[in-house]
Amino acid sequence: MIGTAIDTGILTNVAYFASFAIVYSVLAIGFNLQWGYTGLFNAGIGGFFLIGAYTAAIITTPYDPPTVLGGVVIVPGHWGGLSLPFVVGAILAMVFSGLAAALIAIPTLRLRADYLAIATLAFAEIIRRVTINFDTFTGGTNGITRIPRLASFEPPDPFASGMVLLGVGAVVLLAVFLFMNFTVESPWGRILRAIREDEVATMALGKNTLLSKIQSFALGGAIMGLAGALFIETKPYLDPQDFSPALATFPIWVMVIVGGAANNRGVIVGAFLIYGMEYVSVLLKDYVPSNTIYYVRLMIIGALLIILIIYRPQGLLPERRRVLK
Amino acid sequence: MADPSATESSVVTGRRALRWRPFHLTAALRKRILRGLIVVVAFVAFVGGLTAAFGINILQYTLYGFRTSAIVIVAAIGLTLIYGIRGFANFAYGDLMTLGAYVALFVNVNAQLSIVWGAITSFFVLVLVGILLEILIFSRLEGRGPVAPIVASVGVGLIIQNGIYVVAEAQPRLFLVSLGQEVTIVPGLGFSWLRDGLTLAVGFSFMLFIHALLTYTNLGKAMRATADNLELAKATGIDTKRVTYATWALSCGFASTAGVLLGLISDVQPLRGVTSLLLIFAAVIVGGIGSAYGAMLGGLVVGLSQEMVVPLLVWLGRPEVLGIPHADAYNVAVPFLILILVLLFRPSGIAGRQTAIVPRGVVTGAIARARAARRTRLAASGAGRRGG
Amino acid sequence: MAILEVQDVEKSFGGIRAVDRCSLTVEPQSITGLIGPNGAGKSTLFNIIAGLYRPDGGEIRFANQRIDGLPPYTMVQLGLTKTWQIPHELKKLTVLENLVLAAKGHHGDRLTNLFLRPLAVREDEKRFRKQAQNVLAMTQLGPLAQEEAASLSGGQKKLLELARALMTEPALVLLDEPVAGVNPILASSLMDLIEQLRQQGRTFFLIEHDMNVVMKRCDTVIVMHQGRKIAQGPPEAVRKDPVVIDSYLGG
Repeated sequence: MIGTAIDTGILTNVAYFASFAIVYSVLAIGFNLQWGYTGLFNAGIGGFFLIGAYTAAIITTPYDPPTVLGGVVIVPGHWGGLSLPFVVGAILAMVFSGLAAALIAIPTLRLRADYLAIATLAFAEIIRRVTINFDTFTGGTNGITRIPRLASFEPPDPFASGMVLLGVGAVVLLAVFLFMNFTVESPWGRILRAIREDEVATMALGKNTLLSKIQSFALGGAIMGLAGALFIETKPYLDPQDFSPALATFPIWVMVIVGGAANNRGVIVGAFLIYGMEYVSVLLKDYVPSNTIYYVRLMIIGALLIILIIYRPQGLLPERRRVLK
Repeated sequence: MADPSATESSVVTGRRALRWRPFHLTAALRKRILRGLIVVVAFVAFVGGLTAAFGINILQYTLYGFRTSAIVIVAAIGLTLIYGIRGFANFAYGDLMTLGAYVALFVNVNAQLSIVWGAITSFFVLVLVGILLEILIFSRLEGRGPVAPIVASVGVGLIIQNGIYVVAEAQPRLFLVSLGQEVTIVPGLGFSWLRDGLTLAVGFSFMLFIHALLTYTNLGKAMRATADNLELAKATGIDTKRVTYATWALSCGFASTAGVLLGLISDVQPLRGVTSLLLIFAAVIVGGIGSAYGAMLGGLVVGLSQEMVVPLLVWLGRPEVLGIPHADAYNVAVPFLILILVLLFRPSGIAGRQTAIVPRGVVTGAIARARAARRTRLAASGAGRRGG
Repeated sequence: MAILEVQDVEKSFGGIRAVDRCSLTVEPQSITGLIGPNGAGKSTLFNIIAGLYRPDGGEIRFANQRIDGLPPYTMVQLGLTKTWQIPHELKKLTVLENLVLAAKGHHGDRLTNLFLRPLAVREDEKRFRKQAQNVLAMTQLGPLAQEEAASLSGGQKKLLELARALMTEPALVLLDEPVAGVNPILASSLMDLIEQLRQQGRTFFLIEHDMNVVMKRCDTVIVMHQGRKIAQGPPEAVRKDPVVIDSYLGG
């Protein structure tokens, strides 16, 4: 993935690596709200990530009509044409992802954990396949191209662009992190933690747990949408493959399990660790066939999932104890 | 499917002899057969009507539907058995199917043996894999709830899938088989002995096999008892560890067969199994978790609906109707929709009994467990009824 | 007018009738005991009243309002709170957090208020923490405020159940074996506390097996057997009732 990004200069590379890691950190924080704090096992992270990314892309990118040759569409093109600034794209990404999450939540949150996993996985896969199939809308497997950058420089300066991206990403990450901390320490957040502990007892104490769960799921989904909006700035074009479970859902699980569920700092650490692997694998690109590295990395993620869930499910950095005075 | 004979002392393991129960045509059985016949007649009438209206095409897709169902049924039986006993959804199942196909491919193409040998080898290799998975991973996750084994199974799936990518080509491969005759029954309706006939035959025989196993053998009864109530099964002396290994063996073996069949009707590639995963989950949930018979019904429903909906989608996708591009590709959404509907309205499925919803009181679960524990105590000690 | 009316309530699990057309009433500002042999359906009835199960038949009225079939969280809003026989403490939360969580009508419970009315949220949090400290003092759990609920002893967890119930400012409290596993001195002061709260206007409906507690502290005793009420009246009368003796008070 990084190989397709700008190749010049180590600092530029690091900037892009960090930006990727930031995107996945934001994703992981969203998932952490759903799973770490509320106990809702979302196996469809990729779906909300996708909705956010494509919403932002379509909002900000100019329209690309299909390329038709002799009555046959050879390049589907994609919708767009609003060409609105990035901020608008980001906000709408959050809105649509959050809405999708709320809609999915309403029928499925009453299901037990494994059914929820299957339902959310199904949702993510269907969304992804619809994206591929509805290609006049989304560009299909060609993706959406010519995504405007946050800052363009004349002459094009990859380093400066990378720095701008990194700066914006860092600000977004900080904002999300602070927002999350504020929310989970709040009385509303306390209800979520109570639900995770013992939902029935929480119901018996007068809390509408279904509503709280839906809110938590929707808010988490909105954050994943924001990650999607950021994501489009890191790549030259959108590829539905990037939103498959192996790339968008399962690594997030690892990040949250590694970093420690219900611990946002740990989750960010986890994200950077996992993404560090990606970066290392790109560096090794010259010595080992890049495809093998890609697959081995996924195998390592698989092995990590197994080892961690058996031996250290609480993660490396456990949840910090709150002290109410 | 409560079976009082499961608590007979004859179920104590040690002997896996086949015992034949006499076949009674009870009133209940007669009612079921009658209901089944009505469904079959209704289905035939339905398909006949559609064919008369829209052409022979329908029959072809119906055939595809049965063929897909056969494969899904074999896979779903394997998945539902382990779901019932270990209590979790095996997200690696699709990749296990793919692994089965690749082992068979290796034997078939590289070792230049017949595909039959490939399938047999594949079956036993996967049996070993299943037992290894239980020993190394899933036995350590017992009692940790449904999420931990799901996560572990995802890890297993990732390793298998990407391991295949590393070891084998990513290019789709084909088995070396003589394609057999392609028979044209009527213009527009083709039947391939290899693709259609073999698949249907294998599917049907596996269904018979599992039925015989579950109904007539001690192992089968032990499996049903264990899936029903683990504590009670242990208390009545069933070696649940052995049953679990046997179930893993069956589950992965069936996965390999389903994978090989899938490879025969299409091709062998690393993602083949994974794309069917949701379909098989849908079949399992529609049919009810833990029930092999439910898996058969669920597989039928899901397979038929996925294939038979294609002509309808093609029509809908035409520019003058809805104008959706690639409309036929949306047929994969149909089992998904069925799955969602079932989850919403009847989460226990057609034949299953486990509740899907967090019960209004987790107390329900606690009471059920307490009752089961009491039954276990009573069964074990043979004591009279005390207040409970 | 009774504060709680149960009319012909039925509930079956599988083939087992846990509650079999049970009817009873609870008078306001009373301490009413519910006794009966194991399996009589007492806890099940409490769960039904509290909304955790939906009854198969019958009606339940609280303060003249029908409540059967309502979701559990509305009960607390209406003034009806139930405690658990086996304590359901929120393990990873502190004792204080367990209590503050139970507070009714906290502005901070609503997500929107966190951002639209932050001051009200902060006010409520301060107020309820203070209230929680008071309740902790009342139930002699004060020094444990910052401890994780999981680290409490069995008896302390039972006290926590009661304390949480009191935080919801209930009109009627359903107590499922409130003093089981609590040492006798503490149990006695607990029952004193309940008496005190009753004087202030609350009603207590409690399941108990300890006959001393029942006889000494309850105004009215209701006896259940095999899912239905077989006797109701003052403790002395119930104790002498031949039907009750036959089925339950064997010794």
